[in-house]
Amino acid sequence: MRALLSFDQAPPLAAPLRFFLTAPLFSALAGLLLLLAGPQVLVSRWTPGALALTHLITAGFMLQVMLGALIQILPVVAGANLKHPLLVASLVHGTITPGALLLCAAFLLSDRLTFEVAALLLAAGVGVFLLAAGCALYAVPTTSPTSRGLRLALPGLAISVALGVLLAGARAGSLPLPQATPLHVAWGLIGWGVVLLAVVALVVVPMFQMTPPYPESFARFFPLALLGMLAVWSLAESLSGGALATALSAFPVGGVAVFAALTLDLQQRSQRARMDATQHYWRWAMICALAASALVLAANVVPTIGERREWPLICGTLVLFGGFVAVMTGMLYKIVPFLIWLNLQNLGQGRILAPTMNRVITAKSVNQQTIAHFAALALLLAASVSPEWLARPAGLAVLVASGWLMLTLLRATGFHRQHVRRIQALVANSAA
Amino acid sequence: MHPITDLMAGDHRACDGLFAAVERAVARGDWHCATNDFRRFAEAMARHFAAEEDALFPLFEQRTGIYRGPTQVMRGEHGQMRQLLAAAESALAAQDAEDYAGHAETLLIMMQQHNIKEEHILYPMCDDRLGDETGSLLPELQRRTGGGQKDLR
Repeated sequence: MRALLSFDQAPPLAAPLRFFLTAPLFSALAGLLLLLAGPQVLVSRWTPGALALTHLITAGFMLQVMLGALIQILPVVAGANLKHPLLVASLVHGTITPGALLLCAAFLLSDRLTFEVAALLLAAGVGVFLLAAGCALYAVPTTSPTSRGLRLALPGLAISVALGVLLAGARAGSLPLPQATPLHVAWGLIGWGVVLLAVVALVVVPMFQMTPPYPESFARFFPLALLGMLAVWSLAESLSGGALATALSAFPVGGVAVFAALTLDLQQRSQRARMDATQHYWRWAMICALAASALVLAANVVPTIGERREWPLICGTLVLFGGFVAVMTGMLYKIVPFLIWLNLQNLGQGRILAPTMNRVITAKSVNQQTIAHFAALALLLAASVSPEWLARPAGLAVLVASGWLMLTLLRATGFHRQHVRRIQALVANSAA
Repeated sequence: MHPITDLMAGDHRACDGLFAAVERAVARGDWHCATNDFRRFAEAMARHFAAEEDALFPLFEQRTGIYRGPTQVMRGEHGQMRQLLAAAESALAAQDAEDYAGHAETLLIMMQQHNIKEEHILYPMCDDRLGDETGSLLPELQRRTGGGQKDLR
């Protein structure tokens, strides 16, 4: 119980912030790549450019935000304190950042050594995180569906990264190419991404958007049921593939659709006076998840749909940029100003009131960036259908939306530095 | 059976409902209604803090022997929320919707991350450690918080 009793040990601001500031760099690079390389990237999902683009978002943007947020929230939602959070953050950030950059360079250059170094760095960074988070989570009793769910999400990350390392090894020519791509994608996006998102949603949607809670049976069983369905499909996919695996894939995909539909229904019943940008991001992310699920299920029933060139590009865009990047961007707009406010408030020692969150990041800036994000999403979807005309404009739009997010977050850290000096001076004066 | 968690989390949701009522009144520009709703919200918050600081926390500290742990942190966060409540009240008195929204949003995030810690960690521990005290503790908490029954209109 002692371990559980020290949830005051919130990690220092610098621990999660480095991940949040680095994330938009990756989505901006994705935009830049599409802008420079143009239509050839979108010829198929297997072009070096499309693979680099995908991993700039998944191993870059998403992994940065997810690991940074977990370092921050593990003590809050599960009472699980990482030992030496700043050291863990430095090691993880210091390895996954060059790892993801090198992975994308490796796809573009098809270079053996670059694949090997990238895989090594990503595996090391994620390994350190899994070890630290696993130790923290297993040191405390599970007191809620959230802490149970967080424990369940970690193996999904381990499986996806392990399969990724095998695939990188195969690309480097040092391992035989395994038929592991569908498993790598499914465990990364559903086994890790959706499970983690759902576990976080169980807490943040009702509490911050003031909706009714998710049904108790959903909160209790959804992560486990989703992982179970994924495991059964994985077994069928590895052993036989074919029609059985295709039929079984409908279950985890249907599970994702249920989560998205349930979240949209809860949002409809929010008590809040009006929706802010974060809620819009959540709503559109859930709509994109529903659309992507429908597309996958449609391709299961009518295989010719899935054989179309644009099908995987549209699905990928909906899931990654419309779903995960959107919901994470929306949450960054709450997490970053709150952490900065809390840091300044603690610095003022209760004598000086810190400037409120809406001064750290203004609603105007957030609303404009939100419009830029969804304009970029619309262009990306259109570019999947007509890459010749729209690939470069879509790349530019992603670059603008991501650059805007990066600038907004950097301004927030500038605001923080400025007020640290002001509050320190005021505290020193009041003590004198 | 989690009677302490259920009762205190229910009171959190009742306070949330009052917070949302103020927000809706401010959005409509009905300052009179907003001021009345805010008074009810602030009173409900004060009663909740007092129930914890004067009844629940001392019993938890006595039973576990941990005085400088989570209860100390929760008391500190109550202090921060009291400051935000006072600042929001001033903004409301000045009928400054933007200033009110700034304080209210910060208060909401502060309040909910505080509630998460209590509902997911501290209250379940109270249920675990104070189970034999619930006969007297529950009516006491109910009396102090108003039993989770707030006028939500």
